[in-house]
Amino acid sequence: MPDIGGADLFVLAFGDILHYFTPYTATLFLLALLFTGLVIVARPEGQIDIAFGGDAYYAKQTTVPEMRFRRFMAIACGLASMGAMASGDLFNFTLFVSLVGITNVGIVAAVKSRHVLNAAYEYGIVAMVATLPLFGGAALVLGTTGTLSVPALAAGGYAVPLVAKILLGLGVVGEGMAPFYAAKAEMFRAPGAPYVIMCSLSSLLIFLRVVEIVITI
Amino acid sequence: MIPAYPLGLLVAFASAGIAFFALMRETDGLHRLLLTDLVEVVTLAFIALVGTDLAEALILPGLVVGVSELIALSEIFRIKEGYTRPPTDTLQIEVMKTAPPILAALLVGYGIVLSGFSGGAVAGLGVIFYFLSRNPSERFEVIETASGYSWILWIVAFFTFMILPQYWFFAVMLAGSAILVKVMAKMSLIGTMRGGPNA
Repeated sequence: MPDIGGADLFVLAFGDILHYFTPYTATLFLLALLFTGLVIVARPEGQIDIAFGGDAYYAKQTTVPEMRFRRFMAIACGLASMGAMASGDLFNFTLFVSLVGITNVGIVAAVKSRHVLNAAYEYGIVAMVATLPLFGGAALVLGTTGTLSVPALAAGGYAVPLVAKILLGLGVVGEGMAPFYAAKAEMFRAPGAPYVIMCSLSSLLIFLRVVEIVITI
Repeated sequence: MIPAYPLGLLVAFASAGIAFFALMRETDGLHRLLLTDLVEVVTLAFIALVGTDLAEALILPGLVVGVSELIALSEIFRIKEGYTRPPTDTLQIEVMKTAPPILAALLVGYGIVLSGFSGGAVAGLGVIFYFLSRNPSERFEVIETASGYSWILWIVAFFTFMILPQYWFFAVMLAGSAILVKVMAKMSLIGTMRGGPNA
């Protein structure tokens, strides 16, 4: 099996449930940690819309309760992505990924604007439907090999069905859809820059991680 | 004869296909939300098909994730459509005044006999039914306190398993009754949800 993550830097084992870092996952983990720190200290942007055909402009304000909720969701999103980076258990990984999906919806849905809520609702339905391939893939791996531990699967001797890998990838694409959904600009029209960036970053991180897992197992 | 696991997978994939097809055809927002629940059930079926103790343990987080996504989405839907009016009084039917105490007592009694997680679910069902049909004055703090303390007892039982394994019987009893109270308290909160100021 190809080992693209590099040698283990750290392993914490609870029975067969492992938490481990390779240079690859450690880099991604540090990136998530850095951005979570930035989200904690950053203040929301004050977005300005220019009225077309004149020199008037709207200055959008983010209220304090909304800012608090979105910051909380962004921090939770950062923690969930960190968990997905550090976990060596396939099912725990899928749980963290679906948590990323929920918090991404939460970050966007706090904005009380009809366009943004519509987009968040559609995105939420996709995220919810994506739990089917996500958990289905993990359950298929468990059903055919009898283990969920990524290092054990990587050590070889197990035949992981291709359809399980495809389902896993599909599920992560559905949960962390933000980068694939960039055309849906309504979602990102919401004011409050640092929090929306967390959506894209966490989606990117879980996607990079699932690629590593699918290639390794 | 076809082995059970591939057959089950086939049925689950077929159900998923039907659910996705329905989701593709449906355009109404609320109906699509309900259909995602159909997909969620198939997800649990995928996990349940493995049929081991581990699969049983994995169903619970899968269910929790599904339920929390459903709650978050329905909240978004409610705000999106501007439904803010709290529901009015419950149905005023005579049977809803006389039947609930008997049925709830039966269910709670049977739940206590069962104990543990399934007992909590059965007893919780009784309490939900009682609260739903009786419209009681809500005392969330009491339910929450009971739930919190029973959770601590549950954790204490787990530490007993790990540190003092010779007292395993005590720990089993403690965990069984604590999870009973915990699940029952959590479920009974559903029965008191009426969109009022406390909800």
